[in-house]
Amino acid sequence: METAIKSKALQEFAEAAETLVNPAVRSWREQGGKVVGYFCSYMPEEVITAAGFLPFRMRATGSTGTELADAYLSSINCSFTRHCFNMGLRGEYDFIDGAVWPSTCDHVRRIYDNWKRKVNTPFVHIMSLPKKTDEPQVEWYRDEMVNLKEALEKHFGVEITDERLWEAIRLHNETRRLQRQLYELRKRGSPPISGAEALAVMVAGTAMPKERYNQLLRGLLDEISPSEGNADYRARLMIMGGILDDPAFIEVIEEQGGLVVTDSLCFGTRIMWKDVDEGASDPLTALAQYYVADRPSCPRMFGDYARRADFVRDMIRDFKVDGIIGERLIFCDQWAVEHYMLAKEFKPEGIPYLELDREYLLGGIGQMRTRIQAFLETIER
Amino acid sequence: MSERRLQKLIGERDVLDVMVKAFTQSPTADDKLSAGLAEVEIEHHNEIIRCAEEGKPFIFSYFACAPEIYAAMDLPWYSFLSLPFTGALLPTLKDDIDASKRLFGNDLCTILRVSGYYIEEDLVPVPTAMIGLLHPCDGTTVLHQLIASNENWCNVPIFACDPPYWEDERSMNYYAGELKRMVSFLEEHTGRKLDMGRFREVIEESNKQYELWIEYNDLRRAVPCPHGYGLGLQASGVAQSNLVGDPRGTAWFRDLVADAEKLVREKRGKVPNERIRLFWFDVVSLDLSFDLFPWLEEEWGAVVVMDMFGYAPYTMIDTSSEESMFQGLAKRALCDMPMIRQARGVADNFLSDIVRVVKDYKIDCVVWPGHMGHKDGSANIGMMRETCRELGVPFLHIGMDLFDKSYTTIDEIKDKFSQFFTAMGLG
Repeated sequence: METAIKSKALQEFAEAAETLVNPAVRSWREQGGKVVGYFCSYMPEEVITAAGFLPFRMRATGSTGTELADAYLSSINCSFTRHCFNMGLRGEYDFIDGAVWPSTCDHVRRIYDNWKRKVNTPFVHIMSLPKKTDEPQVEWYRDEMVNLKEALEKHFGVEITDERLWEAIRLHNETRRLQRQLYELRKRGSPPISGAEALAVMVAGTAMPKERYNQLLRGLLDEISPSEGNADYRARLMIMGGILDDPAFIEVIEEQGGLVVTDSLCFGTRIMWKDVDEGASDPLTALAQYYVADRPSCPRMFGDYARRADFVRDMIRDFKVDGIIGERLIFCDQWAVEHYMLAKEFKPEGIPYLELDREYLLGGIGQMRTRIQAFLETIER
Repeated sequence: MSERRLQKLIGERDVLDVMVKAFTQSPTADDKLSAGLAEVEIEHHNEIIRCAEEGKPFIFSYFACAPEIYAAMDLPWYSFLSLPFTGALLPTLKDDIDASKRLFGNDLCTILRVSGYYIEEDLVPVPTAMIGLLHPCDGTTVLHQLIASNENWCNVPIFACDPPYWEDERSMNYYAGELKRMVSFLEEHTGRKLDMGRFREVIEESNKQYELWIEYNDLRRAVPCPHGYGLGLQASGVAQSNLVGDPRGTAWFRDLVADAEKLVREKRGKVPNERIRLFWFDVVSLDLSFDLFPWLEEEWGAVVVMDMFGYAPYTMIDTSSEESMFQGLAKRALCDMPMIRQARGVADNFLSDIVRVVKDYKIDCVVWPGHMGHKDGSANIGMMRETCRELGVPFLHIGMDLFDKSYTTIDEIKDKFSQFFTAMGLG
């Protein structure tokens, strides 16, 4: 589904989402800036920003194979990790000066072990991410952030002061506020931006300097806010799942007449629905509180399922969602069970739920189209 | 408690009964040891069934949640993790596996998937309280979330200790704090109290078991290896499950050591002509104990000298203070418990175990079965292969399901072994 809006900002966001080293990253590098890659949205980007570096969320955009990684990982490891590690082995991540992992899932945490042995990234670091969201876990993760901060300071010879952390928090909160404004527009009956375009905007936010990104996003919001978008859709959809950084996946859904109006994705609402508390007394405590307890969680976090289900319920109500598409990378245990639970949860409430297993690189489009068509036929307005 | 909720447990008890009869008829001492252990399991099952029927407190817990605490609180506990394991003896397991695929798909670990199916189908007793486990894998965490959210279990109070990724002092302090919170939780919800004197007794008894376990594993270094594939897992079961801190478990270990010592003195091995000493780096599943492991011994003279659950660093716990006991339990639960110790943290834990086991047990080849549920471990295959190469021992990665032979058939597995042994000049 195409919207009428084709602004320059949108094109720049789309380019950032479609490529690994986008012009903004290139420009940053040319000016002597350092880039620190990170896996997973539980990584506190603000610490990297406070160090004066560009946080860059690791993806495997543009990957064409897993031929080198397959010697180290097995066929039961998810295709995201295999493609991403393959790109590391091929030298396509030579533009990063460091990489940081939280111990998120069984697949991603093992890329760290392989990466540090096989890829020449000068700085690698892994953080012990709790699996619960209570106070002791917030304190634990704060200490992990102290360790990250000290490791960055030691390796790169920089100082990360509280003042710089607060500046970074304010900057990243501004990004989140702008992104939420974008999502507000998607609540309309005729949203001025498609789901695929919105995902490109969100992905770009993890791959550009925040100042530049915020400036572009403000411009985009000014441009599209007064506009009416497409009202000719068959159903309003919410997409939910693990790592999804390819707008083309949503394009396939929208080509069938479904309009993706919101999500629970780690390239979507889960990284921006809440702000870091700018009134807290200590910036690292504020960050730990946000990343462990406050932001919408994924199934990685135990004991938070009820809050996750409520979050989805709020989304359904606020965005007038007709149905949910649950996407999952094959071999992801976390989402295998979470989708089962959520589908069961929402069945009595009459919310249709389509589970789509997929590989990281878009494929099997014919089959996917058929399933989406069938799904839309059962729910269309 | 409905009959439906007890039928799996009763079925498992009956399977154990069959095992006892079979082991008792065997002439070998190691089978008699297995019979003794199965008898204790039957007794334990009966206790849980009784608690469920009479409304007495009992808890559900996965393995590796510091069961020394349950023993010290005299708190009956059970885990239905064992059901798909012993279910290998039942014709219904295949149906359960198929049914579980319809709920959760194909790629979640079979043993977790079947456990989830039992919860969803209301086939296991609902306990007074539950202790969850959030490691070593993603599947374990989400299974516990599933249990906690199930309509029949959602009112069962639950606590799960949060595992740190590291093994330093800070991590042990953190996990010891989690264990103390677990004790407070159990006291609140079961009415039982943790008496420190009794806690010390249990840990001191468990220390004796660990000392004997060290002695036993030292005997397994002998060539030929005195025992085969089954006893490592059983040793782990005694020291870290239902006989933890129980003098009967200590006696079991003494008998195990005595039998192994006798065989070593007589230079008798499990296999008369031991040709290949194998490190099976995963669970020795009951299902494979009926065909693969006997076939390896008979066809190739290949003995499982060590396996993942038979090996542990055996930390003795300092019982001089309450704090030292919690610290020791934290270390034991995180760093000693098989599978947890390797899979919970960084890959170095897998690799250092390979190095130690290969050197200490004169291993000829390392086998990573590549169980379909063990995704983090299977992301180590390159590193494990390189470690083995440095050690000069061949490495085999199979790719299988330890609990479902329809994933990779037993003939395919045997074929892989035969090709591997032949290519490597083993046997």
